[in-house]
Amino acid sequence: MACSAWLFGGYNPHRSALNIDHANENLYHFPVVCNQCENTYCAKVCPADAIYRDQETGAIVVDQEKCVGCKKEFCHEYCPIKVIHVDPFTRKAYKCDLCGGSPRCVESCPTGALELVVRVNTDQEEDR
Amino acid sequence: MNDGYMGKFLCVDLEAKTSLKLKVPDWLKQDYVGGKGFGAKLLSDLAPPGVDPLGPDNLLMFLTGPLCSTPAPAMRTCVVCKSPATHTFLDSYVGGRFGAEIKFAGYDGIIIRGTASDPVYLWIEDDRIEFRSAAKIWGSDALKANELIKQDLGHQEATVATIGQAGENGVLFSLICCEYNRQAGRGGAGAVMGSKKLKGIAIKGSQLVKVNRPDLFQQAVKKANRDIESAGDCSALTESGTSYAVPWSSSIGLLPYKNHSEQHDPKVNKIDDAAQDKHLFLGKSACFGCPIRCSQMGAVRTGKFASFVTDIIEYETVAMLGSNLAISNIRDIAYLNKLCDTLGMDSISAGAVIAFAFEAAEKELIQSPEKANLEFGSTKAAEHLLKSIALQEDELGKLLGQGVKKAAEQIGHDAPDFALHVKGLEIPGWGVKGSPGMGLAYATADRGACHQRGFPIGYEYGGALYKGEVVEPHSIEKKAEILIGDQNYLAGLDTLIKCDFGAFGVTAQSYIELLNAVTGLERPQSFIDELGERIWNLVRLFNLREGLDTGSDTLPAKLTGKALENGPLKGQRMKSEDLDLMLKEYYMIRNWDREGRPITKHLKQLGLNKERRFSIEKQLIAPENDEVKD
Repeated sequence: MACSAWLFGGYNPHRSALNIDHANENLYHFPVVCNQCENTYCAKVCPADAIYRDQETGAIVVDQEKCVGCKKEFCHEYCPIKVIHVDPFTRKAYKCDLCGGSPRCVESCPTGALELVVRVNTDQEEDR
Repeated sequence: MNDGYMGKFLCVDLEAKTSLKLKVPDWLKQDYVGGKGFGAKLLSDLAPPGVDPLGPDNLLMFLTGPLCSTPAPAMRTCVVCKSPATHTFLDSYVGGRFGAEIKFAGYDGIIIRGTASDPVYLWIEDDRIEFRSAAKIWGSDALKANELIKQDLGHQEATVATIGQAGENGVLFSLICCEYNRQAGRGGAGAVMGSKKLKGIAIKGSQLVKVNRPDLFQQAVKKANRDIESAGDCSALTESGTSYAVPWSSSIGLLPYKNHSEQHDPKVNKIDDAAQDKHLFLGKSACFGCPIRCSQMGAVRTGKFASFVTDIIEYETVAMLGSNLAISNIRDIAYLNKLCDTLGMDSISAGAVIAFAFEAAEKELIQSPEKANLEFGSTKAAEHLLKSIALQEDELGKLLGQGVKKAAEQIGHDAPDFALHVKGLEIPGWGVKGSPGMGLAYATADRGACHQRGFPIGYEYGGALYKGEVVEPHSIEKKAEILIGDQNYLAGLDTLIKCDFGAFGVTAQSYIELLNAVTGLERPQSFIDELGERIWNLVRLFNLREGLDTGSDTLPAKLTGKALENGPLKGQRMKSEDLDLMLKEYYMIRNWDREGRPITKHLKQLGLNKERRFSIEKQLIAPENDEVKD
């Protein structure tokens, strides 16, 4: 809910950038967040080149000015875990931008279950 | 205006297959807030006096409050209608995710009227309302119906509430199964939904819930979360849900055994939290936005009924389908609980009905069916009865499906003496012998015997202080005063709509800070109690209007009869003279007359004497421009 509040100024998990999937009568829960992929399918399929990596935070972000709200929704379609979304009202794409480096989901989690970790690749390249 | 409300009710007419959007007027938000407040006002104003609970004019309402669907911790949803079991007000509170979606779809509540000509389910996706045929779903159990509705819609992400066969067949203790394992409607809301030929409601919404003062609200949420974190009861619920109360209740002598013949179970260690942890629990699950996550999900892996997924077996279910039936195999209890959930029945009332049947058979007032011998300790008999009640497939099932009150009246002899109910709602899983406060709580609860409208055991045995002082458990002194304070406070919180478990931690001050930040209004802490008192009186007026016999503010003969012969409270009893004395004091403090009717002067003080009425016509929003008609 903190995510939708950050992105849109109100609460609704369907409008947030991360998903929590539940299965088998709530026996299992799967939090699904953007991997900020190295091989960015969403950016590659974007016809407007609106998706890029923010050098400061390492997050893959959508340039709202550039996004043309194309009807094809390729970014969503080809995201392997469906964490780039299309806003039902503006039709533009949105996704986790790590809130500019200080994720609201981590900040607001009442049980401290979330944290931001930096992935270090074996070739010593640092990524997030 | 950003005030936590969506500003609209969705009003559905199943007969005409039409839907209207109604404005939620400012006066309703200010004077009734939400949940129980909305329910009491809307049912009083919109249901015709004397309405048949199972007829088309009864309303079935799913209501929210300003804090629902926000990060305010441990909020639920409210189901309200006139009860077919008690013929009075029915309000029931349910967690899970279904209620949260009502606001995400853009509504503060759903009001359902009329009866469909053929079975239907509703599909609500923001402004789009569809009446879809449930012809192929009717007859299926509550969980299967959930699956079939999602399949039919092609929307796995919809959130669904359904009824099982018990609701379809008019069982007076049938419930509405809200996704997942969250049951709403003690008092027969499932039968009301079934009478409307409404099999389910699927909902999904994309609207945003906005608060008035976001920064203050975030601070208030953090404070409320800290309240929960530092409360021992909340930590115990996180650890093992309400099952932690099972050994405690038996050890203090309040766990009902064999239709409340005793109040402790010699085999309690087979059905307590440790037994459930060993045999059932696998992981935790939380209702929408709740940090407590009291739900312990698991599976029955061995034994006759293996295998199936099970939620925790809640305290009440362990008490009513376990100890009260002298069944001590936790896997068996899990199976009986699953039957209740899938067939769509209240496990409290179902347990009470089976216990009543076992005692009646013991006394040779009813005959056992061919397939099972009705006797305490028999899982087979309990299973047989649950199925025959829900499916209404034989005379015994039809008799017991009406609840213990009506069944006992038909059986005659001394059956009404051990039919354990108040006003037609079965007594839950806490004994009253040795706990006079709880006896008074059952006798006066607005929906009939309920442990959630006030829980004096918390003071009598749980260590809670009243105005800084220890409360003597066995005495009747101050019990009416203590109970009224709790009833008012909890009714006030039921407008928000709090979960009882959240309220174990969140303080009154924190609730009011949450409410003020979300609405932008400045209310003092006393607002909750005052609001609760007004609503409690409004519900009383509704119940009196619907023919409540005030003589029914009492307990069944078995509970005011002989003293306990065993257990920690051996020798304790609940004297009817004591109950009468407490009741007299209760009426006096409530400003009700000797017959339990609110006096006019007090109604005036509460602002209930010349009230504005909620009218559908006046609040209608024209479909084109979303403007109020007048």
